[in-house]
Amino acid sequence: MAIEKGIRLGTMTLAGLRKSGGLEAALKGFQRFYIGPEFCENLLGRGLCGEAAWLQEKGKKVCLLTPMISEKGAGLLDALFKDLLKLVKSGRLDPEGLEITANDFGAIELAKRNRLPFKLNAGRLLRNTVFNDCEKSLTVNNGLALDFFSELGINRYELSTIGAAPRINFNQGRRYGFDRRSFKITLYYPYLNLTSTRTCLVGMRDVPPEEAARGVACSRECLISSFELAHPSINEKMLIRGNTVFLEFAEQFYTSEKDLARINVDRLVYAPFP
Amino acid sequence: MKIVSCFTELKELEPLAKAGADEFYTALFGLPAFSFGTLPGPDIVPAIKTVHALGKKIAVALNALNAPANNKRLREIELRVRELDKLGVDAFIVANPYLLGLFSGRGKRLRAELHLSSVQPVFNSLSAAFFSRFGLSRIILPNQLSPYEARKTLAFCRARGIETEIFDYRFFGCAYVNGRCKLHQPGHYTLKSVMPDGDLCRINARAGGLVKLKTLDLPGRAGELPALVKRLEHRFTCGGAPRLSNAASFFDFFASGVQYLKYGTRHDTPEVKVKKVGELRGIIDLAEKLTAAKPKAEARRAFILELTRWNGGGF
Repeated sequence: MAIEKGIRLGTMTLAGLRKSGGLEAALKGFQRFYIGPEFCENLLGRGLCGEAAWLQEKGKKVCLLTPMISEKGAGLLDALFKDLLKLVKSGRLDPEGLEITANDFGAIELAKRNRLPFKLNAGRLLRNTVFNDCEKSLTVNNGLALDFFSELGINRYELSTIGAAPRINFNQGRRYGFDRRSFKITLYYPYLNLTSTRTCLVGMRDVPPEEAARGVACSRECLISSFELAHPSINEKMLIRGNTVFLEFAEQFYTSEKDLARINVDRLVYAPFP
Repeated sequence: MKIVSCFTELKELEPLAKAGADEFYTALFGLPAFSFGTLPGPDIVPAIKTVHALGKKIAVALNALNAPANNKRLREIELRVRELDKLGVDAFIVANPYLLGLFSGRGKRLRAELHLSSVQPVFNSLSAAFFSRFGLSRIILPNQLSPYEARKTLAFCRARGIETEIFDYRFFGCAYVNGRCKLHQPGHYTLKSVMPDGDLCRINARAGGLVKLKTLDLPGRAGELPALVKRLEHRFTCGGAPRLSNAASFFDFFASGVQYLKYGTRHDTPEVKVKKVGELRGIIDLAEKLTAAKPKAEARRAFILELTRWNGGGF
C-alpha cells in the first residue's frame, strides 16, 4: 500500500506559499494539498475554489478543510459549495480529485443538501465520536460509530500523530463490531490539536456584561503568527494559533509504511506550522 | 423558563425542588456520561419515585462523546438504558450519534425522550436539522453560541416543537468547546507536578514570560505582537477565551423563548447545589418581573444592571 503524502497549508494561502518561495517544493513533494480553514469560520473565503482548480490543473489532488460553523459560517460555506459545483459543471474541477473534510455536522448536512459529488471525510474535531485517542492509544469506540459515518458516505477519518505508535483495537474488530478494512485514517503531523474554542484566544475582544456579542469578530490575528506557551504545570510546550491549542510531536514514530498500515494510515499530511 | 438541576444524592432532591428546580438530571455509574459525579446505581429507583412524587421530571446523562464499548459492554449499556426507560426515566441526555441511533432509529425507540447534549455542540440550524432526525425533544445549546447566532436554530426548534435549553453563565462556562477539550487531563502531555488549583486551562500563575513567539508569518503586522502576547497571557492566567455567555446573552435567550436553564456542576456539595439553584430561580424571577413591568429594551437594561451588581453570591 503506497502512502499518499499531503500538505496542510493552514492559514497560508497559495499566494503566500508562492511568496515564501515554498510553492515549487510543495508541488514537487506532495500529491494532495489541504486548503481551507480547519478550525475557524472567519477564514472561509471563496478564493479557495480558485486555489482548488489551480492545484488540479497542476495535477494535484485537493482536500478542502471546513471548520465548525455558526450560521455565518454556514452561509459562507454554502456559497463556497455552490461555487465548487459551478466549477465542476464547467469542467474546471474534477470531483474525483477533490475531497471535503467536515468538522461540524452542519457542514455534512450542507454537503448533503447541495448534493456535492465529492468524497466527505470526518475532520479532527469530530474524532472522538469514533475514536478514543488518549494515553498513547487509538481505539475505535464501537462499530456502530463507524456505521453511523459510513451511512453518511464517510469512511476516512482525520487524526493527529500522538508521538508514538499507538496501542490499537483494530484487530479486535469482532469484539467491537467492526471490520478494520471499512475505514482509513489520514494522519496529520507533527501537531496535535489539543483543544479549540470558538471565541478566539488571540483575536476576539472580551465581551462586557452589558453587551451580547453577535458572534466571533476578529482581525484575523491568527494569520500573523503562532505562539508558544510555557505552562507552569506541564512539561511540554503548548502552541497556539488563533482559536486552537496544539502540541508538537516532532519524533517520527514509524520506520516503514508497514507500521502505518498497521494503524490503517494510508495518507500522511504534513503541517509546516500549527 | 424552567430550571433543570443536577443531583448526585437522594437527599438533594427535595431541597433542590424547594429552591426552584423544575426538572432533575443525574449520571449513573456504569453509563457513559461526560464529566464526573454519579448517583449510586441502586438509588435511581427511589430517585425516580421521589422526583415523580414531586410532580417533576428526571433525566439521565448518557452524554460521553467518547463512549468506547465493545459488544458486551454495549449490550450492558443498552440493557441498562432500556431498564431505566421501563422504570420511568423521562429523558436521556445523549451526545454520541451512535448512541442516539441505537435508541432512536436503529434500535427499538425508547419511551423516554432524547435530549441532545451540549457536548455535541449545535452551533447552527443545519446541525439542529441533522440531529432532529433522531427524534430529539430537546437541544441543549453550547455556551459558546450567542443569542444572535442562535436565532435560526431557535426558530427551527420552535417550528419543530423541539425544546431548547441553555446553561447558567455564572456557574458554567468552559472556555473551550465542551466535550472535545483534551486540555483537562494529561492524556497527551505530562505534568511537572501535581495538578494546580483550578483547571489546567486556567493557569495558576502570574502573567509574564509564559507566552512567546513561535512563528512570524506576516512580518508586516509584527507591530501587533506585543498586544497579542499580553492578551494571550491574560487569557491563560485569568480564565481563558472570551465568553459569549453573560447577563445580556442570558436575557436575550430568555426573551427568545428558550424554555430551560441548566445548572450542571454535579460535583458541587449538596449545600452549594441548593444555593446555586436558588440563584438560578432568582435571575429567572427577575427577568420575568422586569419583562412584565417594562418595555423590552428597558427591562433588558435593568436586568443587566442588576446582574452586574451580583457579587458572586458567596461562591
